[in-house]
Amino acid sequence: MSWESAIPNVLAGETPALASASSDFPGMNSEEFAAFYERSARPLWAYLARVSGDAALADDLLQESFLRFLGADHPNDGEVSARRYLFRIVTNLLRDHWRRPRAASIEDIPEELFEARDHADACASRMMLGPALGSMRPRDRQLLWLAYAEGYSHREIAGITGLASASIRLLLFRARRKIARLLRENAADDGRVR
Amino acid sequence: MRLGACGREKEVAEMLARGHWPEAASGELRIHVEGCRGCRDLVLVKQAFRADRTAMAGRARLEPPGVLWWRAQLRRRNAALAQIGKPILGAQIFSVAMTLAAAIFYLAWQAKRGYGWLAWLQQFPRALHLEALLPDALSKYPSETWLVFSGLAMLAVMSGVIAYMASEKH
Repeated sequence: MSWESAIPNVLAGETPALASASSDFPGMNSEEFAAFYERSARPLWAYLARVSGDAALADDLLQESFLRFLGADHPNDGEVSARRYLFRIVTNLLRDHWRRPRAASIEDIPEELFEARDHADACASRMMLGPALGSMRPRDRQLLWLAYAEGYSHREIAGITGLASASIRLLLFRARRKIARLLRENAADDGRVR
Repeated sequence: MRLGACGREKEVAEMLARGHWPEAASGELRIHVEGCRGCRDLVLVKQAFRADRTAMAGRARLEPPGVLWWRAQLRRRNAALAQIGKPILGAQIFSVAMTLAAAIFYLAWQAKRGYGWLAWLQQFPRALHLEALLPDALSKYPSETWLVFSGLAMLAVMSGVIAYMASEKH
């Protein structure tokens, strides 16, 4: 090996690291990314907005998740896998966001802090899902959304959230029972008001 | 508490996922769902979430993908530059350390010889007849003035270099 090859040619921009930085990302060029983004960004934003209860936070985390997705060295197993990987990124981002202010675990944070702040959401769904979700624990919101809005299996949810697959079944069962009760109550209240 | 008590939940879930519920469901299955709490919850929750997903997805205000692509490129390039900068910084630290060591060694060596080189430095401007370039007002100052001038010039050059390096980092 000659000594010239040991010194990176920074000014010419010919180092391998810089060369790869200026080209496409692994497994995706800009057109492919644009198409993938168009298909996956809206469901991802919906997940973020519903689980966090904060549309502005959803905007921020959505951008950050795609930036991390592009920068990550993830396996190129097709769009389904890429989308699942994105959900994993946003789930981690949400967890980091919740942990930042004070508590070590999101389980220790009082539920009042996670109340849905977007009251316009009350009209968004005819089934009054917004208020019902707002009174659920954040982890339950995540599980419910991934299972019933995105249609992920227990194993896929385990991969996204980092929880044990066996415990997801129990957690989902309880969460579903609770939100079904809340939806019926909200629907009954709505009927009385009208 | 019995989990997943109903054996027909999977069947109902599949119909919901395909969008076949309730139109394609048999009358018998519909009657079952009416009477089964688990299946009834499943239908209610699944329909609510699917409807809400559609409604929420329509509310998203998305950044153009090109902007995100560009930002990701920039982030990646900065990370690559930082990675490249690490060995360069190491080389700079090494060279400064070597220069300092050489300077200390030289000073120590000269100290042993009695600082004879200072006399040579004092004679240096006279050897070049640089005093001829100075205005008359300055010619009365001793030759040590050159040391002060050269020190100030060095300081000015170093300040420029430091300011340039700091601005380049920003």
